[in-house]
Amino acid sequence: MDELFGLSMNVIAAVSVGLTLAIFAILAFFAFRNPVMFKQGLRNIPRRKTQTALIVFGLMLATVIMTAAFSTGDTVASTATADIYDLLGEVDEIIQWDAQDNPAPEDQRIIPQSELDALRAKFAGDKDIQAFLGLSFERLPVINERTSLNEADATIAAFDPAEVGVFANGISTTGDGFNLTGNGILVNKDLAEALDVQIGDTLQLIFEGKPADVVVTGIASLSPLTGAFDIGTLAKPGGAVNIDFFRQVTGREDAVDVILVSNTGDTKSGLGRTGDVEVKIKPELRDTPYELVTLKDDSITFAKLISSFFTTFFVVFGLFGIAAGVLLIFLIFIMLAAERKPEMGMARAVGARRRHLVESFLAEGMGYDLGSALVGLVAGMGVTVAMIAIVNNAGESGLGLNLRVTFTLRGLIVSFCLGVIATFLIITVASVRASRLNITSAIRDLPETKPLNPEQGTWFGYLRGLLNVMAAFGFFIGFLVLGARVSPVFSILALVSLVGPFLYVLRGTNFYLPKDERLQGGHIPFWPFFTVIGIPFYLLAVLLVRLTRDRRPSSVPLLVMAAGVIIPFVGIPLAALQDRERPIAWSAGMGAFGAIIGVLFIDWGLDTDTAFFFSAGVSLVILWAGTILRHFRIAERASMTGVSLLLLAYWYSPSSWWEPFTGKLEGNFEMFFLSGITMVAAGTFIITYNLDLLIPVVAAFGSRLGRLVPAVKTAAAYPLTARVRTGLTIAMIGLIMFGLITFSTINQNFTRLFLGDDAKGGWDIQVFTNVNNPVDDLPAALKAAGADTSPIAVAAEGYWTGFGELEFRNPGYDAAKDQPTDEYRPYPVFGADETWLRDNTFGMKFRAAGYATDADVWAALASGQKFALVDAGVTAGSQDFGTGDLLNLDKELSDGFEPFTITARNPATGEETVLTVIGQADDSAAVFFTGIIVSLPTLKTVYPEAATQAWYVRLNGGDSREYAKTIESTLFQASAESFDKLLDDQRSASAGFLLLFQGFMGLGLVVGIAALGVISFRAVVERRQQIGMLRAIGFQRSMVALSFLFESGLVAMSGILMGLLMGVSFSWVLWTSGDLDAAAGTTPFTVPWMQLAVICGIALVSSLLMTYLPARAASRIAVAEALRYE
Amino acid sequence: MSTSNGASGDDIVIEARSVVKTYASGTVQVHALRGIDLAVRRGEMVAVMGPSGCGKTTLLNALSGLDDFDSGRVTIAGTDISKMPDDRKTDFRAREMGFIFQTYNLLPVLTAAENVELPLIVSGVRPKEARVRALEALATVGLRDRANQRPNQLSGGQRQRVTVARALVNRPSIIWADEPTGALDSATAKEIMDLIVQLNEQEHQTTILVTHDPKVAARCHRTIHMADGLIEREDSQAKMQAAVATGGAS
Repeated sequence: MDELFGLSMNVIAAVSVGLTLAIFAILAFFAFRNPVMFKQGLRNIPRRKTQTALIVFGLMLATVIMTAAFSTGDTVASTATADIYDLLGEVDEIIQWDAQDNPAPEDQRIIPQSELDALRAKFAGDKDIQAFLGLSFERLPVINERTSLNEADATIAAFDPAEVGVFANGISTTGDGFNLTGNGILVNKDLAEALDVQIGDTLQLIFEGKPADVVVTGIASLSPLTGAFDIGTLAKPGGAVNIDFFRQVTGREDAVDVILVSNTGDTKSGLGRTGDVEVKIKPELRDTPYELVTLKDDSITFAKLISSFFTTFFVVFGLFGIAAGVLLIFLIFIMLAAERKPEMGMARAVGARRRHLVESFLAEGMGYDLGSALVGLVAGMGVTVAMIAIVNNAGESGLGLNLRVTFTLRGLIVSFCLGVIATFLIITVASVRASRLNITSAIRDLPETKPLNPEQGTWFGYLRGLLNVMAAFGFFIGFLVLGARVSPVFSILALVSLVGPFLYVLRGTNFYLPKDERLQGGHIPFWPFFTVIGIPFYLLAVLLVRLTRDRRPSSVPLLVMAAGVIIPFVGIPLAALQDRERPIAWSAGMGAFGAIIGVLFIDWGLDTDTAFFFSAGVSLVILWAGTILRHFRIAERASMTGVSLLLLAYWYSPSSWWEPFTGKLEGNFEMFFLSGITMVAAGTFIITYNLDLLIPVVAAFGSRLGRLVPAVKTAAAYPLTARVRTGLTIAMIGLIMFGLITFSTINQNFTRLFLGDDAKGGWDIQVFTNVNNPVDDLPAALKAAGADTSPIAVAAEGYWTGFGELEFRNPGYDAAKDQPTDEYRPYPVFGADETWLRDNTFGMKFRAAGYATDADVWAALASGQKFALVDAGVTAGSQDFGTGDLLNLDKELSDGFEPFTITARNPATGEETVLTVIGQADDSAAVFFTGIIVSLPTLKTVYPEAATQAWYVRLNGGDSREYAKTIESTLFQASAESFDKLLDDQRSASAGFLLLFQGFMGLGLVVGIAALGVISFRAVVERRQQIGMLRAIGFQRSMVALSFLFESGLVAMSGILMGLLMGVSFSWVLWTSGDLDAAAGTTPFTVPWMQLAVICGIALVSSLLMTYLPARAASRIAVAEALRYE
Repeated sequence: MSTSNGASGDDIVIEARSVVKTYASGTVQVHALRGIDLAVRRGEMVAVMGPSGCGKTTLLNALSGLDDFDSGRVTIAGTDISKMPDDRKTDFRAREMGFIFQTYNLLPVLTAAENVELPLIVSGVRPKEARVRALEALATVGLRDRANQRPNQLSGGQRQRVTVARALVNRPSIIWADEPTGALDSATAKEIMDLIVQLNEQEHQTTILVTHDPKVAARCHRTIHMADGLIEREDSQAKMQAAVATGGAS
């Protein structure tokens, strides 16, 4: 895997290692400057072993998720790459007929031997090219006479054994190997397995109905030389024969189908010469109808793309867990700060500065951080192994690769470093927060009284808050935006610009004081300022260059530049000069800054039609309303509840409501994360700001529980007094549950939509025949061969054209460029006979005007006119996943749409045919009938060369799996599959992937559960005396334990119920509004209650199990000791 | 039956025989109680005084069943609690005893009324009835109008009144008070003691009170002086009052 989010992995690795080293350097500096505070921090780690274990367990999750995501990507990349090297061996490029620019019938797309000879002569002794080999092939049925087994579709390659040379390198063979003479055949291992072949067996190759006997002289590994070309399919049966014998059987002339090219060097090193070889060979082919395909290079690039996609997918899905992890780290440090408060107060009283407390906390935090990053790395490797096992078990319907777990040093280093960096940043923020304490309250362990901010509620205070935030985070945001709009380099600079927040760590010291006063607290490092001052100038220079080079308004985010460059720069002196003790209205400043960013995001989203930025912008602006109301002290509960409800209202509104104002906005699965995090935040605000209204309801319910009443009463009371803890925990659990519930519900609905029995279209068995041996009448052929045909109710015939056989265009329009074009796009076509068109049970998603019923559309198609039916792939959808507008039609269909035309071109002849689209088939039809559906006569007119014949059989009941086997064993040229089996395979693969992603996202639950554990352990310590009192007045041990369990259960249930409620309702909105898929809007929504109950049950039970230990510890507290405890 | 303290056997509600308690503090063994013999009559109000670390609170904890002891016997209202399992001891406490602590030990998350009704609910009283009785108890201590306020909304004296109400709400036969006025100013301390004495006279509960303050001790029927884990001597109320008056109490 070389790229992630468009950034080179090498760059990511270099930056993350650099930042990690910088972090260690900072820590070493702190340790050197003030070893006592540093040691104090470190020595806290072993004080409470269980708590430490729990903290490490909770903190490791970000590393686990990243390790698993990167390692899965690396595994896919390395397996696919290794498979490509194994399969292609010494074959680096191929030369073949260029059908795109030189339409010609299939049997004429050949390369004469003379062309091969000319290339050999031209490049003899070339330093980059070591060999050429001419290869011919045919797809034929093969029968093993000894075992009576047959393979309907084997690729038989043919070449001159004398010319194999280096191409044999890396191909393992038994028997006579490539010494092919007469009718000897070297079968590949897949064909050998399919036919149970032994050396010496006689096989029958059937060409156009005529058998030809061959004798197996050896068995070889998979290679283009033994008929295996496709990278993506698992089974590649084939074999190799002598070219003379091949020509004898097929009647082919003195020519080949492709020329294999091998670059100088072995299977891997030769790839490096591809560019040079391309430069040399392409000019030679310029005036010929042939083209050079860089097969190995293209395949490797594709493999890397797939692996990058996998990593991105897992990282995005893992974001829920990472976000929950961030909250947990913050929560843990709030807890630790509470625990250490008296010590910190004492330290401050005897002269320690805030900086010292921050350093001490950082030392402790980094101890946990390092431990958790290491443990996380190992755990992440374990998770990878488990995930790969699940992917591999998904079988043939999965990736088509047998993945072998691979860990790369780079991937592991990046995971480790990113884990360390993320945790460090959060710990820094939490440490600064913890260090701001009132010394007297801290020593006496009294609740922190918030000093009244005289600027609260004033516009001056508001502006000051904003400017300080700008100074702290302006560079970061500015660089991020620049990174996205100008160059990714700025995204990396964004990390560097985190010196902004670091400034505020320094601000907590006394750097702005005169030097003589400053010496009391130690020397202040000045170097960060030079960096900060340098960055805006650098940025300005880049900006000027950009502006003068490109003046298009859409590419000049001027406001962003201003926000990123000028304001932070103005803010620095402000930050440095203002009174250190004067409180800053941070939240108001953050809110206002967020609103500026929000407006920019909205503009950006509208400019680029991106839903992510638009929705993020709207959410930020709404949140800003909350912070401004809060700053001006306007009924906090009402304003925050109102703002949260507004946020929820926005996210619940279908995109169609906004489209009149915003136009169509595109969004992918990153919207899933954004919606989750925003909605859960809103839900959490509503719950925490209204806990005092909600809890009495729970307590009232609890008052019916007899002896348990006291436990319920006390349990319900505590969450109310610690809103931050309660809110953070509810948010963590809610976030993960929302992700899991939404993913599972949407998945269930899509599975039902695509993998229901509707996908069969009323057919039970599909039978593909060998291209060289079609069957005129399937039932008759079966009967003639002695099979019982009474189970067959209906048999219909059709022909398929594969991708690349037929091309289409929307006359005169290119949606991407919004201008006329002649570009053709390949798309598969299914030509169905009248029986199929009449007897299939597929419905229409949309019918064109003039067709009252689905039957009318089918009847029109069957009439033989040049009508066509399109599938969901050719209308607008998510282009990034190849699921929409594949023909560049720029069409959005709805019922009663105006029939429109598309032009089909036959690449064999260049002939064009105009087809009229009169309907779009149901999504379920796209599972087995992906493509444009026309009548068989129409297909034969448009593309007479269509050769892939398929039969569709409906049975009079009975077992379709058994009858498919009967068909296969009766007709040598038939590959028959039961639709039931195909659907079952796909369902089980889908279930496997569902489990994989549920498991992966479920990792985040560990965070929520760990949070409950941390809170409970802390609560036992904090409430020791209260527990003693409860026991004194008559609480039994069990009641104390129950009270703890109820309390955790209440918090966990709040998060679970919020996630459940929001997940299900949000899925319902997405589904019924048609935002996910137009068909979804017309298909009933279902909720997988059973599955959701299991997920919720696991979450609740795990939460309670985690609280069991602290609950038990609480119940065992010695009463007298606890009462004495302070 | 007569005891070393001269109490009549029929009236004895708390009886301790040779109670020994030793615990470890780091590597040092602390002999907190070295064989205490004590008898307290029903309705009697007894103060326990002594220097810090003499074992006053340990004695109170051992007698009330809050803490175990190493040897000896403690009988409360004729029931030997020495070998009683924890569950039964807890029930027994809930039924028979009320506690007042120096640091109030109120649950900060509950209102005054909820704190007071908690012992009733633990004892199985129906919530509605518990609330009525809690409000009555709060009225007794003069805090009926503060029933819905949380501890942090009350003054120190008010909090201790809530604690007193909580101790009395179950109508226990014994009240244990550990430094009930220790955290209060003298005026408030006097108010609280007035309340405890008044309630003792009205309800006739036995009250054991640990204190450092001779003025508080002088309000009790008798005072036990402890030193090094042993009862050093006993003073009558008259003697204590005289000592306080002359400023010679210790």
